[in-house]
Amino acid sequence: MSKKKYIGFTCAYTPLQILDAAGFTPYRILPIGDPPDRAGQILHDNLCPNIKRILDRALDRDVPPLEGMVFVNSCDAMRRLADAWRRIRPRDRVFLIDLPVTTEEHSISFLKDEIARLTGTLGEWSGNEIATDDIEKSIKKYNRLAALITELNEKFSSNNMTCSRKEIQAIFNRAVTEPIDSSIEFISNFITENDKRSNESDAVPVYIFGNVLPDPEIFSFFESCGAKIVSDDLCTGSRMIPPVDISEDNSPFYSMAKSLLMRTPCLRTMDNSKPHRFGEDIVQRAKARKVSGMIGHTVKFCDPYLLRLPAIRETALKEELPILLLEGDCTMRSIGQHRTRIEAFIEMLR
Amino acid sequence: MQQYFENIINGIEKTIREDPAAASPRKKFALEISKLGRDLYAGRRPVAWCGIVAPFEILNAMDITSCFVEFIGAMLSSTGAVATFLEGAEQSGFGTDGCSYHRSVLGAAEKGIMPKPEVLIGTTCPCTGGIAVIENLAKIFNKETFILHIPQDESSENVRFLAGLIKDMVEFVELRTGIKLNRNRFLEAIENSNRMRNILGEVYEMARKVPSPFNGKELNNFGIVMSLFLGTKRGIEIAETYRREFSRRIESGHCGVPGEKIRLMWIQNRVQFKNSIVQMLEKEYNAAIVIDELNSITWQPIDPDDPYTGIARRSLSIPFNGPVTRRIDHLKKLCELYKVDGAINPNNWGCRQGAGSRGLIEEGLKEIGVPVLNLEVDCIDSRNFAEGQIRTRLEAFMEMLENKRS
Repeated sequence: MSKKKYIGFTCAYTPLQILDAAGFTPYRILPIGDPPDRAGQILHDNLCPNIKRILDRALDRDVPPLEGMVFVNSCDAMRRLADAWRRIRPRDRVFLIDLPVTTEEHSISFLKDEIARLTGTLGEWSGNEIATDDIEKSIKKYNRLAALITELNEKFSSNNMTCSRKEIQAIFNRAVTEPIDSSIEFISNFITENDKRSNESDAVPVYIFGNVLPDPEIFSFFESCGAKIVSDDLCTGSRMIPPVDISEDNSPFYSMAKSLLMRTPCLRTMDNSKPHRFGEDIVQRAKARKVSGMIGHTVKFCDPYLLRLPAIRETALKEELPILLLEGDCTMRSIGQHRTRIEAFIEMLR
Repeated sequence: MQQYFENIINGIEKTIREDPAAASPRKKFALEISKLGRDLYAGRRPVAWCGIVAPFEILNAMDITSCFVEFIGAMLSSTGAVATFLEGAEQSGFGTDGCSYHRSVLGAAEKGIMPKPEVLIGTTCPCTGGIAVIENLAKIFNKETFILHIPQDESSENVRFLAGLIKDMVEFVELRTGIKLNRNRFLEAIENSNRMRNILGEVYEMARKVPSPFNGKELNNFGIVMSLFLGTKRGIEIAETYRREFSRRIESGHCGVPGEKIRLMWIQNRVQFKNSIVQMLEKEYNAAIVIDELNSITWQPIDPDDPYTGIARRSLSIPFNGPVTRRIDHLKKLCELYKVDGAINPNNWGCRQGAGSRGLIEEGLKEIGVPVLNLEVDCIDSRNFAEGQIRTRLEAFMEMLENKRS
């Protein structure tokens, strides 16, 4: 099977390894480009701009030929996206992974079964049963990709890459839209070519967290405001491809389920035993990067973040880490309106 | 708040004492809700704040006063007191783009008027926001939570999973409250739950009558709130009062909205604060709201020999769960059963579950010839309620329905 047979996906909780093992190329439909705003008519204008933009891309036929779509029930908006997708592209094969909210053992077990169900379905879609060996090979490949992305991030964070954050974002986007083998090769070469001490700059080191921010230009914009985004906690950034821990003797499905739920989470996930832990962890990760401040950028109407930002802000203030909260719609035009606020924040940090 | 509920209880009981004929089903319903409200604030029994599809008969069997958090938002809104709490939440950083049911609850918790719970039980259905509110309450009250993941469909594996999870929830509650679930009490609760279910089924069936035997306020917020009485004798009594009264009305040919011309379905939530929508529909257009989306029985009686499975099936059966097509099918069925001419969908601002389905529901009901009026309102926050604009849209919709009928 050609590696260019795409399966679309929209959430960083998608087990890409299974898509790859089935012989498909996972293609993340990122909320980029400039399709006309039409999704609000199908859903509602008061819904996550990430979802609306993805739907707008589909309505505008701005997606490659797809063998099917894999959605994740990660939030209300994602569920509605799956509904709307079925309505506007009724011929597409669609699979919805039911993703538990917590990280407990029963949640891992449930997700393991969901991944097994996905495997069966993708086997049917591809016409071949997916072998465990193939899944294990894919896990290793994705772990390699995740390690490269981590290396890239670490080197950039410690000023050991002669590239911009904009270039890194373009690489992140490539990693979820191109075949994995070519992505691994590309990133390896990129790291080798840019692995040099970068020039010192007077940009202020800032940590960014939130959900969806895939447009590389946005990072140039932050730089133009005087910020250097040294690290991120974004589902279109460093959270995009989590590694799978295969050190324990578990089935691949279990290992994948556990790794997906125990990964650096989107705030739709919660720790039952310690409320708001994941939000507080963001502040600790930012502090570990020795940044001067943090910027929270979330898409509008995102309930998982809207309802947790006050707790994050409170933690940041307690930890004496300056924080700026922004809302946007995944486009440059919305972030452009924040220029004055970002510049003032950076000035304050100097 | 406890005094507030006491006053309502005393008021209703006095009215009924002085004039037993005034003991309407709605009064009985309001009385029992007020008693539940009083119990929440009385501090005599442990309190559980929950998600909407929590297994309330289990908690009731354990003598734990339990309620879904959105109840508080609706109550604050209906009393006209909600603005203070919404503003409090907004000042704490909870954005106005979120659901105001949830924001008002958070504002109330921050201001100390939410009773302190012993346990928090979130349910992933119907919405993501509800889970986040439970997490916030857990932080405010320094309590652990138990989350019931409600799977997307009723496959046997999913039913088994959820049944197991509900069992785990019982252990969690027992451990935190020190109250054991007594088997006999549990079985009694299951029996009560089934009886209430059956009587409600009859009530809803009677409500299909043309013309409708009840008016647009009598079954307002009914089905969803009745779930709080699952497993209790109070629930049976409320349902029985409705059955008796509707039966009497049907026999006597009583019409809930005199001269009923148009039959409407109300989708999802009512507008909780005082407003003139229902009155306008009834008085000016002889239009009756004959069915609310959640006033229906979507589950089978629970087998006492396998109660967790039956409870799990009920939690999964709520039309908000799963793909929107499931919800649309449910709405279509109601439209046919209740001979509905049109539907009103108040897309509660901030509700991704409800508003996010707006266009798909509208299109789905169009397939069976039922027009939908999508109102853009906030069902809790009266500060932005533009009655004039709503009236204009309702007038246009009603005129269209009148023309369609003629």
